[in-house]
Amino acid sequence: MATAIPEIPTSSEPVPEKTAAAKRPYPGALVVVEGIDGSGKSTQLYLLKRWLEIGGYRIHFTEWNSSPLVKSATRRGKQRRLLTPVTFSLLHAADFADRCERQILPLLHGGYLVLADRYIYTAFARDAARGCSPRWLRNLYSFAPTPDITFYFRAPLDVAVNRIVAGRPKLKYYEAGMDLGISLDRAESFRIFQERILNNYDQMVETDGFVLMDGTVRVNKLQKLMRGIVGERIKLEQFAPKKKKE
Amino acid sequence: MKRNRKSAPSDGGNGKAGRREAEHATQAPHPEALSRFYGLPLPGVKLEELSGSLIVLEGSDGSGRSTQIALLTEWLESQGFAVQTMGLRRSFLVGQDIDGLLEENAVTRMTLALMYSTDFFDQLERRILPALRSGLVVLADRYIFTLIARAAVRGISRDYLHGIYEMALRPDLTFWLNVRPEIAFDREFKKAHSISYWESGRDMSLSNDLFQSFIRYQSMIKREFEYLSNRHGFVEVDGEGSVSEVNRVLRKQIAAHLGIRGTQYHPSHALSQLWR
Repeated sequence: MATAIPEIPTSSEPVPEKTAAAKRPYPGALVVVEGIDGSGKSTQLYLLKRWLEIGGYRIHFTEWNSSPLVKSATRRGKQRRLLTPVTFSLLHAADFADRCERQILPLLHGGYLVLADRYIYTAFARDAARGCSPRWLRNLYSFAPTPDITFYFRAPLDVAVNRIVAGRPKLKYYEAGMDLGISLDRAESFRIFQERILNNYDQMVETDGFVLMDGTVRVNKLQKLMRGIVGERIKLEQFAPKKKKE
Repeated sequence: MKRNRKSAPSDGGNGKAGRREAEHATQAPHPEALSRFYGLPLPGVKLEELSGSLIVLEGSDGSGRSTQIALLTEWLESQGFAVQTMGLRRSFLVGQDIDGLLEENAVTRMTLALMYSTDFFDQLERRILPALRSGLVVLADRYIFTLIARAAVRGISRDYLHGIYEMALRPDLTFWLNVRPEIAFDREFKKAHSISYWESGRDMSLSNDLFQSFIRYQSMIKREFEYLSNRHGFVEVDGEGSVSEVNRVLRKQIAAHLGIRGTQYHPSHALSQLWR
């Protein structure tokens, strides 16, 4: 017998009004987490995923930059430092398109609740910080389905940067934004790059209806809040395990 | 640095002598002709540094593009111009990866379109712009127009595609070697004894008959090119003319653009087999 379906906590926190819930051409739903490195988003999405998994819901988890399709090209480009802001952006868009056309869209049409660790807003924030035009980026990703909820995990720059720097022996070249030539010091470059990304995210809170999550709140408290919002905004019973036929 | 161009069986050549006179339409002046980019400039490019010329040859497989590029390269070099070439799937970054995707036939249309755009911009930024800064003549064996046409016939919006390529450099001259699909089929079949999966649009389920599929697909591409030709002011050349006739038309236009006085040219022994 499966574990009992966890109770959906009802949150007392105010939930921002959803910008005119658009009619979707599919029965599934898409929940996305965004935020800079070290904001706690992946931990929170993992816990959300576990909660839904244990409950037997029809879910699928997907993360940014995970397809084997462009792995060799990305590795080649990064190792030899051949990527420009434009090719960096296009390569990630190709990778995302593969995931979108082969996983996300079919699953949404098949009635799954899709959980995405990072989505197109990562490209908007990061590639714009590299100097790509926001308008060009919006067009580039215009084929992507709009999420039902986008959680934006926001931690102060110092908190996030310290979490990353403390846990890693060495920051990678592109990760630290060294291609931008901001600073020769990797930690310094990383910090400035992350700051730009953070500013770009902040600007999207309004325009893209992000649900702002305070990344400094205790993990379990934040997770309770997150589950509450998901329960409120998404008809979870739609994804619940089907009852066995007698 | 190694270029990963495999010998591409799809590239034209051995164009059979056609009967009709090669002809060209005059290039219409275009309102967008003022800027060297279609929209936004590429980040970090100083236009005044680009002293070279970008000349594009477009046309379906079997239209004779690569034959003409080989001849034009020799002619330009004989005139003292250094030449750089570009073409699809020749980028160091993803050229090989696209070859792999095409072999698998498992790639979806949007992914393929974006891989091609990565391939294009890698060549543009790391090969073409440096060449143009050094004053070279760049001969492009296909350009964004083929990429736009192929994606558009697969249902990707033209506005979307033009949006991606707005940072592409506008060519100084774009020639469209126009051949009827039936002629292209004959030429391709003669050369390779088979018709490629992608050039016959078999991913689009147009027909189970390969000939029909090829003709329908190439006709769709041709219609896109007619639209693109109007929009971007192509120099349309009858690609069914003989190699030497087509080459004469191209030389005349290029000579006028580059300020070369004489257009006399006879291919060297090495290339003489192309000249018929």
